[in-house]
Amino acid sequence: MTETNVVLKVEGLQKSFAGNKILDGVSFEIDRGQIKVICGPSGSGKSTLLRCLNLLTMPDKGRVWLEGREITNEESNANSVRQRIGFVFQEFNLFNHLTALKNVSIALEIVKKMGKDEAKALALKELEKVNLANDAHKYPAELSGGQKQRVAIARALAMNPVIMFYDEPTSALDPHLIGEVLDVMKKLAQEKLTSIVVTHEIGFARTVADEIMFMGEGRILEHGPPSQIIENPKHEVVRQFFRRINELYRRDE
Amino acid sequence: MTAFAEFLPYILSGMVWTLGLVAGGVGIGFVIGLFMAIGQIYGGNEVKAIIHAYVWFFRSIPLLVLLFLFYWGVFPATGFKLDPLACSIVVLGLRSGAYQSQIFRGGIMSLGDTQLLAARALGMSQMRGIFHVVLPQALRISMPGWSNEYATMIKDSSITFALGVLEILTRTRYVVNATHEPLIPYFFAGGLFLVLTYAGTKAVNIVYERTKIPGLVGRL
Repeated sequence: MTETNVVLKVEGLQKSFAGNKILDGVSFEIDRGQIKVICGPSGSGKSTLLRCLNLLTMPDKGRVWLEGREITNEESNANSVRQRIGFVFQEFNLFNHLTALKNVSIALEIVKKMGKDEAKALALKELEKVNLANDAHKYPAELSGGQKQRVAIARALAMNPVIMFYDEPTSALDPHLIGEVLDVMKKLAQEKLTSIVVTHEIGFARTVADEIMFMGEGRILEHGPPSQIIENPKHEVVRQFFRRINELYRRDE
Repeated sequence: MTAFAEFLPYILSGMVWTLGLVAGGVGIGFVIGLFMAIGQIYGGNEVKAIIHAYVWFFRSIPLLVLLFLFYWGVFPATGFKLDPLACSIVVLGLRSGAYQSQIFRGGIMSLGDTQLLAARALGMSQMRGIFHVVLPQALRISMPGWSNEYATMIKDSSITFALGVLEILTRTRYVVNATHEPLIPYFFAGGLFLVLTYAGTKAVNIVYERTKIPGLVGRL
């Protein structure tokens, strides 16, 4: 690997669960500052792909490089790889026994070995970024879904990741709470934080993504600039998918 | 009535022994139970099988049989010289561990796997995730169920009477033998157990309420 701007490079990723091929040879790369959106029907392997990329699930075959260093070989340490990849879950997965502030600071203390005060100050700064400084003392059960997801984003950001993964970050939210989460994500995209976003929010993809990758049957069926993939896709499956989503959108408006 | 004034302090001081049995038994059981719950959920198949057998063994055999088995059999055969009190504490602890492991296991399972997943996604090792994220929640959730274990232990501790441990019941029995007056001493002993059970359960509940966190609720 030469000195490049490639943050993440994926080659021929495969994963099966109980004989079912979930990922069937996924390859792509993402440059620093790029935002890639992954779309596709449920069961197409989007979540599995993200989990294989940060080694929460071990891929059966294929290789992954993070900033030029392979993470799928035996020398790589999964814990230190994950420190550098921010992961935002669909269901937030905040630590329920900790306040918003502690949710953000705990990994700083335990994983990054930061002092208590330093971790707290940094956590507060991250919560400010997602407009939640005033709710820092609240427990997850006292926050709305949109607030929880913003805490989850702050928690991931605090680790100063080289890349962010979002796994359908707005799918578990009530419609009126989606906007506040997307706004935070847009702001981060403007700051050129390299990100891979699994989402069906077409508006977000259109305005923020550099590229859409459309997944089907465990592969990337088609990829390209948002306008091309949304309006002028080559595959019939992709065309149908966006037609249905567009219909949904028009009904909303 | 003069007899009453004499035997009361004697029986009363049995409370210290009873509490010692309970504290030792619950304490040993807590450590064993916690490790076994973790092993049973996160361990490999061999670990799971061993723990399963342990739990099955200690929950299937009556406490009195266990006490005799260990006091007269296992400890002498393996060269340990334990007095009745120490032996009783160990047996109560080993047995309580089997029960407590299932209480904690239920608490951990009720969290689902997403909490640990989130911890690991931040770069925590599995052990760190279990220690800092899973257990603080699972222990809180387990507390109401766990207070039952305390109450059971208070009552079970009286079975060590069979080894002559000088807890409440053994002392009461001595008094009855000496005075040939069973009613008042046994009533008094019963009253002591009642107080211990009530006070202990109440204390656990107070701790539970004090450490309560919104959204984290345990059940009995």
